[in-house]
Amino acid sequence: MHGELKHEDVEAARRDLAERTLSRIRGDFARLIYLASMRNYNTGEYHHEGLACMFTESIAGRAIASCHRDVFRRLVLCPLKELVEQLELYASSNCSTPSELVRIWERLQPYRVTVPLECSPLAARFFVSNIRTALAILQSRHLRAHREALSALPDR
Amino acid sequence: MTALAFSLLATVIILAVCVFLSRRGRRRDSDGEVYGIEHETAGSFEWDPLTSELSGRIFDRKDSDFVASESSRQITRQFQRERTALALDWLRAVRDQVNQLVRAHFRASRENDALKPTDEIRLWVEFLLFQLTSGILYLLIWVCGPSRTAALFGYSLELAAQLQKVTEDILPAGRQVTAELMNNEQEPKNGDAAG
Repeated sequence: MHGELKHEDVEAARRDLAERTLSRIRGDFARLIYLASMRNYNTGEYHHEGLACMFTESIAGRAIASCHRDVFRRLVLCPLKELVEQLELYASSNCSTPSELVRIWERLQPYRVTVPLECSPLAARFFVSNIRTALAILQSRHLRAHREALSALPDR
Repeated sequence: MTALAFSLLATVIILAVCVFLSRRGRRRDSDGEVYGIEHETAGSFEWDPLTSELSGRIFDRKDSDFVASESSRQITRQFQRERTALALDWLRAVRDQVNQLVRAHFRASRENDALKPTDEIRLWVEFLLFQLTSGILYLLIWVCGPSRTAALFGYSLELAAQLQKVTEDILPAGRQVTAELMNNEQEPKNGDAAG
């Protein structure tokens, strides 16, 4: 069935998704979470009602999968410093503080389900390792800021 | 003469140690448990463009400097251990790919009468040089960590690319056979991984 899909149609769906939806989401990390959330855990297939209506279910699925791979690739290949910034941006745009994000993510580890299906095990391990380090750095920054704030308080 | 004997002996020792470490690393696969990262899929390695691009990131020193400047020693040490484990896995994967390529080449070359012995010797020399370099690289990564071995890593990659080119130059007509052989070899492997 996939063989019948036209490359131009998938490209058009990709462009549509990028322009209408992904461009409005702040930061690649939030985009990754959004794209991964459209994937069925059991089948690995993506579903987006609007995109499927505009194109077809298969074209929409292929377009989302392709965007997912692109965003994941960008995040895997970005320096750790940038990844920490992405996480900070993600935390701030989701109405939570970085320390809250660290606390919850260390327990739930939701970033593990954001890895695209076709990704190699090495790339997946690299990504998970980087996220864990980035979370640890966020935590360190938070603790440092907290200590500095405490020491700045006037002695009673 | 003595110097040559010493060099040969050193080469053999390095290769033996590398083979030992490489097999030991594969058997143990315990890093995943220590660092909380699944390692069980490392054996079923699939080569994709992202993995090739990843090498630059694994061996990049900037990340390690950044972590050292931003976090505690404990986190820095853990990060370095994880990067070392990843770099060793990456190198094992490259070596597996090269070994597979050379094996496929020799199988294909058996069916080809037009081969020149000089080309085959050239391939062997390149192959041994790659094995030696990647063996040394394996040792260095294990001892010093990936960020300090970036230069040798680049050289190893060049050799791997050169090897691929040499096999293609020697057997241009047999390239298709080699590709088919490699595909046939990979199919049951992937099947095993899935199962």
